[in-house]
Amino acid sequence: MASAYLLIARIAEDRYAFDVPSWLRDAVLALADQLDDELDGDDHPVFQRLFPTAYPDDPEKDAGYQILARGELIETRHSAIDTVRASADAEELDGESLDAWMRVVNDLRLVLGTHMDLSEDHRWKPRKGDESYYAMYEAFSLLLQSIVEAQMDFDDEDLVPGDDKEE
Amino acid sequence: MTVPLEVADPSVVTDEDVEVDRPWQVIVWNDPINLMSYVTLIFQKVLGCSLERATKLMLDVHEKGRAVVSGGTRAEAESDVHKLHAHGLWATMEHAD
Repeated sequence: MASAYLLIARIAEDRYAFDVPSWLRDAVLALADQLDDELDGDDHPVFQRLFPTAYPDDPEKDAGYQILARGELIETRHSAIDTVRASADAEELDGESLDAWMRVVNDLRLVLGTHMDLSEDHRWKPRKGDESYYAMYEAFSLLLQSIVEAQMDFDDEDLVPGDDKEE
Repeated sequence: MTVPLEVADPSVVTDEDVEVDRPWQVIVWNDPINLMSYVTLIFQKVLGCSLERATKLMLDVHEKGRAVVSGGTRAEAESDVHKLHAHGLWATMEHAD
């Protein structure tokens, strides 16, 4: 029986083996560079999932939220992309760097999925010309899944204390 | 010259007072892009949920289209929404009642 190939695995507390092929790293970096350049620009429809509405029923409150939050959301994303660049060739990552990779890869999936009008409809398929975007999206899905699985294997003591009560 | 202070009548309840007292809830909406496993992990990391509760909330989002994931004052709810947005989740907030 074949065993699953792990791109990423936790090897010690706050240490992860990062065995991601170079073509996949290069793809993340290339698109992350584009995202980095365009984050501060004018609103673009493909970025709508990166800056969602907080108050859908109250435009006035939402405008206030966007004024406060948008700059921080942009800065957080620039910072994560910087971390990804700095660890582009790393064979091991700490938790903070892995979290940055996770955020960047997820953001790229959101942008690609929005661009392709991805749908849960089982009849959905990429438009003509979007096939390469879809291939990249699927590759990023595999990478993200591996990043998530590597972090899921932690003890409850590692969790952030918070509201855990039933509804 | 002494300027008379204008003291608010404590018996008068303003819209602002009502606004402050009303609890808020944070809602996460289903979307076709975010991975189910990713959403579960973010609920654990950002909201401090156990794996069991995070999985239940994720399934509610996936199957019912939305789930209330946290609540509290407006500031608390906005803080959670902001953290969820930073992780790419589609979160909004509304009054709990």
